[in-house]
Amino acid sequence: MERLNYCVRRVLQIIPVLFIISVVIFFLMRFIGGDPAVMVLGDKATSEAIAAFHQRAGLDDPLPIQYVRYMRDILHGNLGTSLSVRRPVAELIAIRFPVTVKLTILSAILSILISLPLGYLAGKYKDRPADQGIRALALVFIAMPSFWVGLLLMMLFGVKLGWLPAGGWDSTNFWTQCRSLLLPALTHSLSLIALLMRDLRNSVVDISRMDYVDFARSKGIPEGEVKSRHIFRNALISYVTLLSIRIAYMLGGSVITESVFALPGIGKLMIDSIFGRDYAVVQSLVLIFAAMVMVINLLTDILYSFLDPRVSYHE
Amino acid sequence: MKKTLLALAAVSLFALLPVVAGGASESSAPVSQGGTAATAPKYADQIVVGKLSEPLTLDPNGAGVGGSEVGVTQQVYEGLVTVGPDGNILPLLATDWTISPDGMTYTFNLRPGVKFSDGTPVTGDDWVWSLYRARDYEESSYRFIAEMIDTVEATDSQVVITLKKPAAPFLYDLANFNMVVGSKKHWEAVGDAEFGNQPLGTGPYMLESWNRGESLTLVANPFYWDAGYPKTKRIRYNLISDDNTRLMQLQSGQVDVINDVPYSLLPMIRNNKNLNLDVFESTQIRYLILNTTLEPFNDPAVRRAMYYALNKEELSTLAGGFGKPVVALVSPTEGKWCNLDLPVTTYNPEKSKQMLKDAGYTEPVKFTISVSAGSTFYEQAATLIKSEVDKAGFDCTIELMERASLSAKYRGLQHQCTLLMWIDDIQDPSEVTGWTVDYDQCKAWYTGLVDQPLEDLNATAFKELDETKRIQMYHEIQQRVYDNANVIPLYSNGFAWAENKKVSGVSVNMFGVYECKSWVKEL
Repeated sequence: MERLNYCVRRVLQIIPVLFIISVVIFFLMRFIGGDPAVMVLGDKATSEAIAAFHQRAGLDDPLPIQYVRYMRDILHGNLGTSLSVRRPVAELIAIRFPVTVKLTILSAILSILISLPLGYLAGKYKDRPADQGIRALALVFIAMPSFWVGLLLMMLFGVKLGWLPAGGWDSTNFWTQCRSLLLPALTHSLSLIALLMRDLRNSVVDISRMDYVDFARSKGIPEGEVKSRHIFRNALISYVTLLSIRIAYMLGGSVITESVFALPGIGKLMIDSIFGRDYAVVQSLVLIFAAMVMVINLLTDILYSFLDPRVSYHE
Repeated sequence: MKKTLLALAAVSLFALLPVVAGGASESSAPVSQGGTAATAPKYADQIVVGKLSEPLTLDPNGAGVGGSEVGVTQQVYEGLVTVGPDGNILPLLATDWTISPDGMTYTFNLRPGVKFSDGTPVTGDDWVWSLYRARDYEESSYRFIAEMIDTVEATDSQVVITLKKPAAPFLYDLANFNMVVGSKKHWEAVGDAEFGNQPLGTGPYMLESWNRGESLTLVANPFYWDAGYPKTKRIRYNLISDDNTRLMQLQSGQVDVINDVPYSLLPMIRNNKNLNLDVFESTQIRYLILNTTLEPFNDPAVRRAMYYALNKEELSTLAGGFGKPVVALVSPTEGKWCNLDLPVTTYNPEKSKQMLKDAGYTEPVKFTISVSAGSTFYEQAATLIKSEVDKAGFDCTIELMERASLSAKYRGLQHQCTLLMWIDDIQDPSEVTGWTVDYDQCKAWYTGLVDQPLEDLNATAFKELDETKRIQMYHEIQQRVYDNANVIPLYSNGFAWAENKKVSGVSVNMFGVYECKSWVKEL
């Protein structure tokens, strides 16, 4: 019950935050300059064509009226129409969002599978060759630019070996999608693997020195249980925090990974829409991202209570 | 615990192996599935194009039509006439035509039995609606191509177009991508916004599917009038926004053809024995645009000094060995229309400095060149220009701006200098000269120069029906633009394409327009 109350309170807090974000992004997009009509119609556009575009898209109306219209549509579940391709924004997002979600899931799985054992081993064998090797590996992963790694992976697995597609998105079935996503997910996850490995290693090192770990051992608790229940489980708290923040971040899409691997994801849509001044698309995406980040934060906070029983939901 | 973790990692990595192994067998299969019978001609039933950008619309007169869109609409729609490889006007949906002696009335006899790709016949109503729409659709950026049309009358076998004023290039205008016939009934059924997503024309292909952000597939029009075409059943455009990735997909066989290949990638294509490199003659020219309403380029002497401060030879190397310095406003590919008698200036920093000194400038003349950020070409070009002009009495600053802000800046004449590109849409000089000298159209190509006698001469040339006189007038216009020095042509370059060696029939005209109906790919 306590947990439920907490969740309801947190969900209600999301509403005013989203409202503020909607105001900020609406006016920000209009104050950065550039005209959506010119971006769509091109340099050859006459002033008559631009005026006709403005009128059809309602860009002639005063900004407060445009904002009220936008909010009214949002409250009716209508995200608006793209200025550039004249399709409903919801449809554009619905096409691209699943790709980004799948990329994020696969990246997260790869990151966990690789960082969890390696990070733990590095912490356990602190300053021994295994630790030094893993730390060096983390440095390499962080230092390599993702577009470069992506191109190298495509060159090797796509062009030379021909095992996987050299970029592109094949939505035919689950396996073709997995094949399309494997290299991007690996590229996407490298820096996260490095971060998670280092974080877990440090947590394991710190927690191993704690008094309660010594106390557990002195009570005669078997070593395996000390490691799993007292060291590993506690080390996971900061690991999960970091992972959740990065997952929220990854759900916003990655322009670089999506561009290099020619994936129709949300990051590329966002950046193209910003450059093209496609107001409705940018506004909707920002609101969705904001909502997603807040929901993931909430889920993370709930997860803490399972990892650490001391976490309470009292004010 | 250690063992558990290691086991977990091992199991999970093995779990991924089938994905990789599955990939090995699947990706080795050819993209195309046709032509498997031993005796049949061994041609693929699909050719895949690696396309850089997704079309905004497939309405040839819709908002946002440009090069990316025309690449697709040209396969779906057709007009009365077309331009042959040598620049001649050829019949397309019109079999023949007559022009009245005063040049005001054009009568076209239509090819009988032409149908839209849904099987409905093309009617006179469709022609009238289509040509008026090309003239009147408010958001079209290409209305100027049809603006001279006064009335269109049509039966199912004949189209009669009457002009408001004589227009010498009118037949070439009719060959443009937006002067095509669409189905009026279809437009009424789907509505204006949806018309750009559901095209319906008489061309060799029709839209089969469009997975936004991923691919767009055209399939052969079963009612196409030209027997034997198209040669390949499907053309699939895979959308790949990164040039390196497009090239890798060409190398790996995922795509068969890529267009607009960046010149920096040409050596990699030349060195690949499985790929063909084609560089087609184009009307594409890069221009330096000088704002004559702001200092320092409000002074003609400063603008003319730029002729000697720019090293066009060096700049043309940006086109990977396919660039040629140009002097005249009109592209040399336009042949007789280009004035080849203009004085050729070569890089001469000392002369530039002297010209500035003679004009009273004792200090280096400061200016800012504003170019599009994130474009390797524009950044390299601006850097070269800075290095050249800084030795020739100028002090140049480079300003990198994102596209929308840059566009707003030069459209508002708030820039000092920028770099822009032009490709003709029709085989006639009137388009680029109109753009450059007509203030009302676009502030004399965003240079802000008002030269009324030159505008008048351009208007007269447009109406002149005597070709010899017309050529003389356009040469004169180019001379005067050269003297004004508000728009400085830098170099021309070709359109670079690369294909799998098994693909043949690819050709691109000087406007960058291509037709896929002759493309084939051997298996």
